[in-house]
Amino acid sequence: MTDARRTGQPQTLVLGFGNPLWSDDGAGIAAVTLLAQRQLPPRVRVEAAGTPGYGLAAWLQEATQPDPALRSGRSLQRLILIDAAHMEQTPGTWRRFTAEQVKLIANGEIVSLHQADLSSGLALAQALDILPEEVLFFGIEPERLQEGLELSSSVRASLPQMVDEILVELWNGREKNEQKTDINH
Amino acid sequence: MSKRIEVHHVTRVEGHGNIVVEVADGQLKECRFDVTETPRFFEGMLRGRPYTEASHITSRICGICATGHATASLRATERALGVEPSEQTRLLRKLTFHGEILDSHVLHVYMLVAPDFLGVGSVIPLASSHPEVVLRALRMKKLAGDICAVVAGRHTHPIAMAVGGFTHFPKRAELEDLRSRLEASRADVDATVELCASLPWPRFERDTEYVSLTKPDEYAFIDGEIVTSDGARLPLERYQEVTNEHLVRHSSAKHTRHLRDSYMVGALARFNNNYDQLHPWAKKAATTLGLKPKVTNTYLNSAAQVVEIVHCVEDAIQVIDELLERGVQPEPLAPVKRMPGEGVGVCEVPRGMLIHHYWIGEDGRLTGANCIIPTNQNLANLEGDFRARVPQIVDKPIDAMRLDLEMLVRAYDPCISCSVHVLEVKFD
Repeated sequence: MTDARRTGQPQTLVLGFGNPLWSDDGAGIAAVTLLAQRQLPPRVRVEAAGTPGYGLAAWLQEATQPDPALRSGRSLQRLILIDAAHMEQTPGTWRRFTAEQVKLIANGEIVSLHQADLSSGLALAQALDILPEEVLFFGIEPERLQEGLELSSSVRASLPQMVDEILVELWNGREKNEQKTDINH
Repeated sequence: MSKRIEVHHVTRVEGHGNIVVEVADGQLKECRFDVTETPRFFEGMLRGRPYTEASHITSRICGICATGHATASLRATERALGVEPSEQTRLLRKLTFHGEILDSHVLHVYMLVAPDFLGVGSVIPLASSHPEVVLRALRMKKLAGDICAVVAGRHTHPIAMAVGGFTHFPKRAELEDLRSRLEASRADVDATVELCASLPWPRFERDTEYVSLTKPDEYAFIDGEIVTSDGARLPLERYQEVTNEHLVRHSSAKHTRHLRDSYMVGALARFNNNYDQLHPWAKKAATTLGLKPKVTNTYLNSAAQVVEIVHCVEDAIQVIDELLERGVQPEPLAPVKRMPGEGVGVCEVPRGMLIHHYWIGEDGRLTGANCIIPTNQNLANLEGDFRARVPQIVDKPIDAMRLDLEMLVRAYDPCISCSVHVLEVKFD
């Protein structure tokens, strides 16, 4: 979504997930679509990642190539993941969290590549040591998970606020946001 | 003495696949594989939409076979409306299609099949024990995704593909870069063949009817005729004579059958039917893997996928050479010649033959759609394989039986694509 030629090796990678054919399942895609239309800081790359499962590791492998401009280490500092999430909240509620703050319930046995979900992709990236220092999630509680090309009204109503918050996160970095409350309606 | 194996692969909220096998006193009592009917819903979703949207909607049925769905969709629309794509369009579509085959096969062989053989439960411990193997897979996958990004405008969901052609054209430098990366990937491809050759493939034989597309002068992925190993050959419009979808009492999905109780689609079917059109190096890889038509061991479907990896890398290089020689020019979309129309588009996506059948009204909006995906076509054959396999492994410990049957399912590279992709989160 963002022009890779302008962002170069990104410092922040924002990925939206989901399938827009299943209503609120595509909330992450809708979020990055909105986000990409806003003014973004330099070296921030925003992409619609679809439902890549293990393929998430391929996104990270690309983004974590060593940056020749830095004396050591990789250019990618921060990964922001946006997805519909079952968090036992009322539909439309969004939350910001880190991996340490939650338990991600990964899918068990996998027969089809479609069953390899975001948690599996993260686990693979972790095993390959290609996760950046900071990994942040923005989850939004879905109302409707059935075939449909539209978001539900509750998700559609609160999505812009979540996107605004992500934008603040991108411009201000992590310090400002450590004190922020997490739950928003 | 009775053994019951139930393997539940719950795919979140909607849809699930179950293996249920029950053996009592050495007799197979129950044997079924259930997968929910996948994209039936999109018939409703496409109805009333303009024909220009169909490929963009249907490409989102599947994140792995997005280009496959889009291509079948475009061909159905084009055949319905008398649109004739140019040679350049044909070449560009072939190239991005190869990218998708590579992407899917690499992911399947390395992430799903290899762990079973290398004694690990998933690719994640494999990443710790054999990181170079997993990194190789990701490298190959990245190249495959980049082919799609360069040609079709995006890594997944080929946004630049449209009815009649493309809305975006790759630059010379981008194609040259892809070409050199494809050449460089040969080392990774060779390593993949070597890995595949070293695996202890289960011994199993069950002759069945193998169904695929065919073309006289190339290994068919897009368009052609339908051919079967039992000797049938049909134009695409008569696909229903092959698929014969019918309800089965115990399964939520329809089954298909042609001249036998079941048939198989996928890499093995393509290999068996179209071996002659494979690139010479792919034939060489087949020899290394001990494969020559007619292969009737379902487990070797994944080995046939490795042969196709070799073929697609080499053929992609050839397609790029052709494009570079012609020079890629921006072209307008080929025009619509008639409305209303009805058309069938068929492609060989990674898992097998995919059919899109559209009815388009006078106002350019779809009035109906029918879609038959490869995994649905394989269901009856999978059950036939279970019935043949279970007696062969019934004396093994139950865990070994279970693994063997899971490997059999995985060999088909099933696409249970209608699962919901939502994070499950518990706050501490």
